[in-house]
Amino acid sequence: MTQKKIARGLLTALAIVVSLLFLLPVLWLLASTFRTSNETFADSSPLSWAVLWPQHWTLVNIKSAIDNGFLLNLSNSLIVAAVTIVVGLAISAMSAFALAVIPFKGRAATFSIVVLSFLVPFEAIAIPLSQSFSQWGLTNTMLALILPGLGNGLAVFTLRQFFLGVPTSLAEAAELDGAGWWRIFWSVYLPLSRPAMIGASLILFLFQWQAYLWPILVVSNQTLDLAPVAIAKSFGAFTTNYGQVFAETAVLAIIPAIVLLALQRFFVASVATTGSKE
Amino acid sequence: MSASSTALQHAQKSRAAAQGRSNHRTRRNTLAAVLFLAPTVILIVVLRLLPTITAINQSVHQGVPGSLNPPTFVGGQVFIDLFQSASFWQTVEQTLIFNVIVNPLQIVLSLLLAVLLTRGLPGSGLWRTIIFLPAAVPMAGSAIVWGLALEPNGPVNGALEALGLPGGRFLTSPSDVVGSIILIASWIGVGYWMMFLIAGLNDIPGVYYEASKIDGAGPIRTFFSITIPLLRRPLLFVLVADTVSNFVLFAPVQILTNGGPQGKSNFLMFDIYNQAFNLSNPYTAAAELMVLLVIMIAIVTVQFKLLGSGDDE
Repeated sequence: MTQKKIARGLLTALAIVVSLLFLLPVLWLLASTFRTSNETFADSSPLSWAVLWPQHWTLVNIKSAIDNGFLLNLSNSLIVAAVTIVVGLAISAMSAFALAVIPFKGRAATFSIVVLSFLVPFEAIAIPLSQSFSQWGLTNTMLALILPGLGNGLAVFTLRQFFLGVPTSLAEAAELDGAGWWRIFWSVYLPLSRPAMIGASLILFLFQWQAYLWPILVVSNQTLDLAPVAIAKSFGAFTTNYGQVFAETAVLAIIPAIVLLALQRFFVASVATTGSKE
Repeated sequence: MSASSTALQHAQKSRAAAQGRSNHRTRRNTLAAVLFLAPTVILIVVLRLLPTITAINQSVHQGVPGSLNPPTFVGGQVFIDLFQSASFWQTVEQTLIFNVIVNPLQIVLSLLLAVLLTRGLPGSGLWRTIIFLPAAVPMAGSAIVWGLALEPNGPVNGALEALGLPGGRFLTSPSDVVGSIILIASWIGVGYWMMFLIAGLNDIPGVYYEASKIDGAGPIRTFFSITIPLLRRPLLFVLVADTVSNFVLFAPVQILTNGGPQGKSNFLMFDIYNQAFNLSNPYTAAAELMVLLVIMIAIVTVQFKLLGSGDDE
């Protein structure tokens, strides 16, 4: 019994140490947001405790980020993410519903095509696709930034798995009442699927919040730059203001952190279906 | 719409009633399925199929970018030129070395962490969230933070010196750069894949563990005889998805190393981008993309063969 307790204590200690290792860069990022760049490097070489706790707190980096127009980049990112979630969720849920509930010839084949086509990572075909986008005159538009986020195989897959678990008797009862497929989808399946929909929204959100390659391919107009691109640009500039880069990255990290802290269990619930059997 | 459907209904009444109804139903279902699936299918065609065809087509053409003359068909010439270039083979080699290390490493770490954090230890939910958090930070941001942390006078070197270890020039030294990118990619990725495995572990019915306990199996025996086999599907998913995402890893390379030093981090995905945009060789880029896709498909197929063929299929 005591041996078991010791083992549990050691495992807990291990879990704490590992999560600290993952947390350290985030703490350093937050601390560096509130001190000058000079101080950031003075504190780390030689290393002192001040590396994680600024000696002289300042908001100068945040001010510099705002002066540099970061709020515009941030709102671009938020708009792209929001539209992607709303429209992407509608599109993914509709196709997932058809693939799970509506009996039609070729359903299994269609499902395989949908899943397989999404297995090719978007980044791999982003470069030839960006050439087509420029031919279609979509370069430097919000639409170009949003479109690739809308069709997400993981979202379709997890929603379909969830819909498969809804008892068919509910759909049959609604059908006897004269409801068409749209009514069954809208009034029976969607209200039942809130947790799965939240999970799918998180998947869609993470895709767009992470986007980097595609935005640099289709947007050259600075006013349309998404936040990650703006950060990378100011990092690459010759007169790098590292403090500003830290402040911008911290803001960009805090937003998903809050969302995830609140909704993490829905993410776990939705990814739980990815490995499951038919 | 409604007029034509009533007309349809009238026409069907003249046939055998039951047969007609079921035909009508099948057609109605098919129509509904087409409408529900249309947006997704259109997106797949435009965003996945079309660019793949564009790239295949480009890879067998050659031309001067920006010129008014249309590109000419050259068959396999672009590939032949590519295969004769030493720098291309260095790129392929670096890409493979990176992936051979990073994928098993990330999967093993994710799996160990998933097992550790599903044992009901105090505070498990908090540790999970912390380890998952980096996955939500945009990769460009994570890359930059690590780039600064790995600076010669940054905290990583500071910590190494404090421990009496020699520091490094992590991102500018040819011998360290792949390791540094593996570190950054793993900090970002491990928590994400861990979440899928945690979800998979939670799905394993407890009776299996009870049975193995009654049989007197130790934790290691239980792990290999119960956990791994029952986790096969999520494990296969994570392995494939992780491999694919590491083959197209882009932001850390473009932002931090630009393929250098000495081409050591010039992985295929970055080289494709570099060829297309910095060197204005879209045809070479398209041919390299074909190579990347073929390598990825080959590796994923092997992974399916190794893990996918099981007793329950």
